[in-house]
Amino acid sequence: MSVAENKRSLIVGLFALIGLVILIAGILVLGTQQNKFSKNLIVKTYFHDVKGLKVGNNVWFSGVKVGIIKEIAFEDVENVRVVMSIQEKDSQFIRKDVVATLGSDGLIGNAIISLVGGTAANPEIQDGDVIKSGASGGMDQMIGLLQENGANLTVITQNFAKLSQQMVEGKGTIGALLTDDAIATNLKSSVVSLNSVMTDANKAVNNLVTLTGKLNNNQGLIHDLTTDTEVFASLRESAAQLQGVTQTANALMENLNKTSARLNDKDNALGVLTNDAEAANEIRQILKNLNTSTEKLDVNMEALQSNFLLRGYFKKKAKEAEKESKDAVSK
Amino acid sequence: MGRKFNNLLLEFARLHRFLMRVLREAVSPPYEFKEIVRQCYEIGWKSFPLIGLTGFIVGFVFTKQSRPSLEDFGATSWLPALISIAIVRALAPLVTALIASGKVGSQIGAELSSMNVTEQIDAMEVSGTNPFKFLVVSRIIATTIMIPILCFYIAGIGLFGGYLSIIGNDQLSLLSFFTQVFDKIGFVDIFAMTLRAVVFGFTIGFASCYVGYYSSKGTEGVGKAANSAVVASMFTVFIEELLIVQVLSLIS
Repeated sequence: MSVAENKRSLIVGLFALIGLVILIAGILVLGTQQNKFSKNLIVKTYFHDVKGLKVGNNVWFSGVKVGIIKEIAFEDVENVRVVMSIQEKDSQFIRKDVVATLGSDGLIGNAIISLVGGTAANPEIQDGDVIKSGASGGMDQMIGLLQENGANLTVITQNFAKLSQQMVEGKGTIGALLTDDAIATNLKSSVVSLNSVMTDANKAVNNLVTLTGKLNNNQGLIHDLTTDTEVFASLRESAAQLQGVTQTANALMENLNKTSARLNDKDNALGVLTNDAEAANEIRQILKNLNTSTEKLDVNMEALQSNFLLRGYFKKKAKEAEKESKDAVSK
Repeated sequence: MGRKFNNLLLEFARLHRFLMRVLREAVSPPYEFKEIVRQCYEIGWKSFPLIGLTGFIVGFVFTKQSRPSLEDFGATSWLPALISIAIVRALAPLVTALIASGKVGSQIGAELSSMNVTEQIDAMEVSGTNPFKFLVVSRIIATTIMIPILCFYIAGIGLFGGYLSIIGNDQLSLLSFFTQVFDKIGFVDIFAMTLRAVVFGFTIGFASCYVGYYSSKGTEGVGKAANSAVVASMFTVFIEELLIVQVLSLIS
């Protein structure tokens, strides 16, 4: 075999090999994507209507592709059996109480089965399980919602009927209000009272308006108080002076207090005079003695007048007095 | 008229005999491995640049042309799916077969007819080599092997061309592209692609060898054989394409 031929064989072999590698890679990728080589669980569900679901369509759980549709066949008149193959590695996150719903992977995309719900309390899904199917989104859901709304509306109108019946019969607050005459009368008088109150209030408000108007005029003490800074300054001065006066008065009062306190004591003249009973008696005795002394003095003095030595003087004095009274009459 | 019809029937009989002989000789020893490898080199490796470039351009241009129509729907994100279906299901085997018809078919037709004209085939027979096994069977086997291989290359290159066209307009990773590509095709599609490539390969080899082997004598016979090898190959490929599509649509 020549070198050229060897080279040729090598090139052909390599060329064919790479071509086959492309093929095998394609097959492997395809197989991996379609779960042909991974371990799968077979799970069944039943739909009343599969809406164009096809074998090979995806199965989503929480928006992640977890498997594909294996088989679609009629089970009985009402049900279509849908067999799904779910990757084993994802099955641990899917619970037995999961619900299969029909959906689509885009607005005009392929139909898919979307597994919804599942609670952690339930065991994970296993090979051969049958899961529940749920109402799909879109039109069905909307109609379901409308039905619910209708039912709610019925309940609401029933309640209203009951309510209005009670109102007519006079039960409850609103019923009483509508039907009881006494309440109506009371209400009327209340309104009348309210009316007069409001009138008074109106007057008060008017007065207030006048007052505040006056306040805003440039007249009056309050205006000056609130606006004139000079008045305030003098007021402050007066207050300061007043404080001085009160302080003086305070000192005076203190002195007075001290004085009166002394009056109560016996260790000084006034105190003795006012407080000591013995002293009073002595004084009384002194006064008595003084009294008798003056009486005796009086007698002595009269005797003295009659004394010759002094009689002339008294006569002279009497004459002068007589003369003076005469002058007064003549004038 | 009657003679033409007669000739046509004779032609069919000759075709049948030729086919039977190819099949018989292909499975019976001795096998001309060396010659098969040489033909593989000539047919596969030598036409790879031409066919590879064509595949790339087909993928690129097809994607570019499909874009506006999908844009009308706001569905340019479906381009990978569209390309994958188009290339794997239809374009890869067909483009390979058509280009190979031109390149390989004319080559085989011209080679065999010139050998026929210069009586090399008869000389071979005299020297003890089986010319049918050496010339015809080895070429047919080579095309049957090499056209599918080329087809796989074309599929890959074409898809890559499509990807290059897409990233001219959109952001798309190669991984994401191939995920979407394989999302839309199944094993049936890959099997169908391989089957068609094998059938087309055999057809090209068979038609070209037949035309070359039974070419008319004279120098003009060579040109005529080369021409009719291409026409016959292409025509047969299209007929087969039609039949295979019908059968496959029943399967999938």
